[in-house]
Amino acid sequence: MNISETYVRYRRSLGEEPLAIGVVLVALWMAWTLVSGLATGGIRVSSLASLVWDGLLRGLIIGLAGIGLSMTYSILNFANFAHGDYLTSGAFAGMATSYLIAGIGENSVGALLLVGAGGSVFGGAIGIGVTTSPVAVALGAIVAGASTIALALAIDRFVYKPIRDESGIALLITSIGVAFALRYLIQFVFGAGVRGTTAAGSVPRVNVPALDGTFRITAHDVSLIVVAGGLMLGVHLLLQRTKLGKAMRAMSDNEDLARITGIPTEQVIRTTWIVGAGLTGVAGYMFVLWKGTLGFNDGWLLLLLVFAAVILGGIGSIYGAIGGGIVIGLTASVSVIWIPSEFGRAAAFMVMIVILLFKPSGIFSGRTTA
Amino acid sequence: MSLLEVRDLDAGYGDLQILTDVDLDVDDEEYVTIVGPNGAGKSTVMKSVFGLTTHMGGTVTFDGEDISGTKPEDVIHKGLGYVPQNENVFAELSVEENLEMGAYILDEVPQDALGTVYDRFPILEERKEQRAGTMSGGQRQMLAMGRALMLDPELLLLDEPSAGLAPDLVDEMFDKIDEINGTGTAILMVEQNAKEALRRCDRGYVLSNGQNRYEDEGTVLLNDEEVRREFLGG
Repeated sequence: MNISETYVRYRRSLGEEPLAIGVVLVALWMAWTLVSGLATGGIRVSSLASLVWDGLLRGLIIGLAGIGLSMTYSILNFANFAHGDYLTSGAFAGMATSYLIAGIGENSVGALLLVGAGGSVFGGAIGIGVTTSPVAVALGAIVAGASTIALALAIDRFVYKPIRDESGIALLITSIGVAFALRYLIQFVFGAGVRGTTAAGSVPRVNVPALDGTFRITAHDVSLIVVAGGLMLGVHLLLQRTKLGKAMRAMSDNEDLARITGIPTEQVIRTTWIVGAGLTGVAGYMFVLWKGTLGFNDGWLLLLLVFAAVILGGIGSIYGAIGGGIVIGLTASVSVIWIPSEFGRAAAFMVMIVILLFKPSGIFSGRTTA
Repeated sequence: MSLLEVRDLDAGYGDLQILTDVDLDVDDEEYVTIVGPNGAGKSTVMKSVFGLTTHMGGTVTFDGEDISGTKPEDVIHKGLGYVPQNENVFAELSVEENLEMGAYILDEVPQDALGTVYDRFPILEERKEQRAGTMSGGQRQMLAMGRALMLDPELLLLDEPSAGLAPDLVDEMFDKIDEINGTGTAILMVEQNAKEALRRCDRGYVLSNGQNRYEDEGTVLLNDEEVRREFLGG
């Protein structure tokens, strides 16, 4: 091979793959910054570990919320923009329950049910926490799931079902309307203030040593992992092992064939809402328990990341939602090593775009449910 | 009275009418084929029997019961099985799960029916863990038939079972259909491969422009001058 040929090949590869080269250069720069930072002590191993831990937990919440979004997308064929406000509803219903159980007797029932609207009761004062009030937290999570199921079924019955045969766009725009209605209804009832919900100081924690320091694991981190992991495993078993779960996969795969096989489609749709909304409500509650604050915008703000995760994973795939959630969560947290923390969310979307440029149908593309 | 009686059937999609006054009968254990040019409405007849089109007039009677306008998910309860032409397996599900879905309306998977399907199509048992979407066209066609046979239907509707198969598989597929018919299942089949289909069936219908044109024993149609010239390419 002579020099001019090599040159032509070199030029061609540059011309065809500018994006790939750009990505490789950025990745090299990031790796160099990280390694040199760690070597010189500019970046502490313990703070990196702490960011990774935080990103994983964030990713689990996004993933758990994403399963519900992905399931309704693959079976009902529309992107439900009200999904974020289902998270918020679950969080408020669950927290109202926890407040009521933990604070009854010393506070007015109304203030407890309104989750301390206007600073009437503080979650810290009544000791909300997985160790300080385990019964209140467990029941709160259950009520969060159950109430979100009831809400989703009611909305499906009165809003989505009558227009089920319309196009996905009509359903999508309707769901945006539902999202606004729910969000401002929640604001109307519970107020616009962001409140602290947990007794953050009394949550047990261990400091895990990491070379040059420690990073913190709290009891709420652990309960999030247990709940999210357990529910994800449960959904997996439901879809792979039960008759109804297999029917859900069949319907998401080929609705016409499902119908001529005798699968009752409305029953499958109802089950999808029950499972999806239940997971979403619990995800909303666990999110608020974990971060310790609650506001009427929480679910809406999380929704963009949930969408990013679901699209990244390959929309319609529950394993994609989990995988995508963890990638998005990790990126949003760990990116502060390279860029200011205000851009964490932007970084998550950048990663989504870059991955989709290389694999347009998502990481788990084409595998809707397996 | 026939097992399946279609009388004066008008049907189509939305406002678009495809079939006009179609009449068709299938007797118990009979093997009937519908042939005709592209766009004749052959598949639409099958879909109409299964409630997948807009019913515009006439009746579909099965086993003495009027089933016109019945929803697809209810038709299977009457004793009919249907293998559509395209996308006739659940690609994401395993072979065995596809067969389980075939018996969804029963409380338990019927092990004897599953055994019969595996005996008839041994390749399905060998590959029961495989994802259906990764199988070859011929294997998918067998799986689709197996799925429809899980409820041991009285009448099996087959839409273009030989479409897209390698030539050496086409004969095997027709042999399988003969076998299924031989065990007492009536067959209503639409086929592009008209000559082979007419040779094998008991009776045939020639459809064109959504209307009945000819009806007779398969071999009679096969030797009819006009049918040969107009529809079988001489």
